[in-house]
Amino acid sequence: MRNLNRRNFLKTAAIGISAGALGTSSIKASDKSLSEDRIGILVDTDVCVGCRHCEWACRTAHEFPACDLEEYSDISVFEKYRRPDNTSLTVINQFENEKNPLLPIYVKVQCMHCEKPACVSACIVGALTKLEDGSVVWDDSKCIGCRYCMVACQFQIPTYDYDKAIDPHIWKCDLCRDRRIRDKLPACVEICPNEALVFGKRSEVLSIARKRIKRKPDVYVEHIYGENEIGGTSWMYIAGKSFDKLKMPPLGKETAPGISEAIQHGIFSYFVPPVALFALLGTLMWVNKHKRGESDTEIESTDPDKEESEF
Amino acid sequence: MRKILYILVPLVLTFFLVITAALPQSGSEIQEVRARNTPEKSQINKVHDDPAVLNNSNLKCKTCHTSEYPTPKDPGLTDCPRENLVSVYQSPKEGPESVAIVEMSDKYTGVIFPHRVHAEMSEMSTGCAGCHHYNTSGPILNCRNCHEKSRNREDVSVPDLKAAFHRQCMSCHKQWSGENGCNSICHKRKDITKDNITSTNISKTHPELPEPGKITWETNSNINKTVTFFHDEHIKLFKIKCTSCHTSESCIRCHTPKVQSDLNKPVKIEKSIEEHHKPCINCHYGNKCTKCHSDKEMSPFDHGKTSGWVLSTYHKDLLCSGCHGNQMPYRKLGTKCVSCHRDFAAEFDHKLKGFTFSEAHSELECANCHVGKDFTKNPVCSDCHDDKSFPGDIPGEKPGK
Ligand code: SF4
Ligand code: SF4
Repeated sequence: MRNLNRRNFLKTAAIGISAGALGTSSIKASDKSLSEDRIGILVDTDVCVGCRHCEWACRTAHEFPACDLEEYSDISVFEKYRRPDNTSLTVINQFENEKNPLLPIYVKVQCMHCEKPACVSACIVGALTKLEDGSVVWDDSKCIGCRYCMVACQFQIPTYDYDKAIDPHIWKCDLCRDRRIRDKLPACVEICPNEALVFGKRSEVLSIARKRIKRKPDVYVEHIYGENEIGGTSWMYIAGKSFDKLKMPPLGKETAPGISEAIQHGIFSYFVPPVALFALLGTLMWVNKHKRGESDTEIESTDPDKEESEF
Repeated sequence: MRKILYILVPLVLTFFLVITAALPQSGSEIQEVRARNTPEKSQINKVHDDPAVLNNSNLKCKTCHTSEYPTPKDPGLTDCPRENLVSVYQSPKEGPESVAIVEMSDKYTGVIFPHRVHAEMSEMSTGCAGCHHYNTSGPILNCRNCHEKSRNREDVSVPDLKAAFHRQCMSCHKQWSGENGCNSICHKRKDITKDNITSTNISKTHPELPEPGKITWETNSNINKTVTFFHDEHIKLFKIKCTSCHTSESCIRCHTPKVQSDLNKPVKIEKSIEEHHKPCINCHYGNKCTKCHSDKEMSPFDHGKTSGWVLSTYHKDLLCSGCHGNQMPYRKLGTKCVSCHRDFAAEFDHKLKGFTFSEAHSELECANCHVGKDFTKNPVCSDCHDDKSFPGDIPGEKPGK
């Protein structure tokens, strides 16, 4: 299996890692050639009622075990803060609403589909791809399970089948690409009773977000999370409370990957043997991380251990 | 040769231009565009003759038109000002009793929405416009008129129909039930049962609200701890409409939400001092604190005790505003009849006091009996009669005698 994967990888590497999944052209994280019409999804936390139907729909769409929809109305799960994992690619968390304690704030968590994704840059075999439509997808046949993406992601999203000895997977929200091929909306967007998830072109969704904030200045704080964070994300949020209180990592406008991507992609186009590469890359990432830590104070924490303790 | 060219070239060009301009296809296109931009006459009439527009005194020409002289071709319309025009009102009885919402669901049976009971409840809060938002004074629109059925659509700025329904219901329902599920009140799952859970909702009306009598509060203050509020007096005596004070009630005011961990414990809703005083201050602006705050429970309002002027048979039934006007707080009035009944003397019919004057008395001036024209005191008989006094004796006859 592994061998086959690697053969596939080499084959694709030879043609310059240009063939994208879905037949759409894939691009490197640094490229500016994202489509004008690329996807944006707005999470309006003022409208979300925390029914967790999106969790159920996401599980079902990805053929994960999902119990009966009715059982999702159980509110005791909110007692603990949860992260997406290899059993659920999206989760809803509950936060106190000081303005009205009877209507808590709910925040959906999933892969943000960054405009300049760090995971794509970190992936040494090109298993992760930023598609023209804005989604970041993962290719099972290329992944070698190095888990660099998990370290690189500022939102700690990619998760790993630690419990599987054979053929473990990296998992994260794929914006339901299988459904979208069939011209369907992402499962979570479709099921949401309140349309708390507004799916459209990123530019349009952004202007909807701005309008909502403008129309209800007493409801929302003036911040669209994901508009600029680490260069912008496809999923964006508006809320009645500052985002750091909703456990959204405070991130600057600077893109996360920085220089590392160019070097990594460069090496691979010259077929440097993987062993040498790993050593080189390790050093590079280490150097890069330390450099960033010094120069960019806006990015609060890139150290995964530290963030882990925060959540 | 050259000269001929000088003449010919412009000529040919002009000819060419004239031909292109005269081509029929370009002309018709312009007409088509115009037809799209100028409303048809019938459409204009439809707007102008709509009774809702005709009868709405808030609507001026300038509400919709910016230009001084609007014409059908150039109506100069402003952005629709509907947000400022929302004036929809119907009594709950005029609206539908229940509404079937059946088009949306593949997983659940349809929902029967008891419209009337919700209309009744919203009378003490936002009224019709709370749900029928952006509805001008015209016919009342329902959700389907504006919200598209499909979620996968071009314009996502307005929520789709499913979201429109749920957003209306869930903000209240979630607050007082604390529940996240779909099935306790509105939906029933199709695969579990065929019977319609919501059929019980048909013709549901809100039970009559019990009117509270006296309500007392204990405040945290050291002095004048107790506040007594006579709710019944405000309704019966002062004839104040419920909706004058209850302007923004939410369902949870009565349908107390329960603490999620302990379903027997109601959630205590904290209110600021301002919020507490708001309903009273509207009318009692300018009153001293001791009007309501006292060291013990207060006794009900008594016109005689408070003002020193006991309300007699006829005055008892009057509205406060009948004498005191609408200005709050009420001003003290003079105790003489003429302070209210300006031409009292000329008009007063003594039959109201139970007698008609005898012939001897009918020519007298008021002041002959009512000394100093003070009609609150008994008339004086002893100026003329040694042996008569009022009310033992009357200056005339009782009817029927
Ligand atoms: S877009 Fe699809 S994969 Fe992503 S969170 Fe929604 S349902 Fe899950
Ligand atoms: S389905 Fe919609 S309303 Fe329900 S929890 Fe998810 S985002 Fe919130």
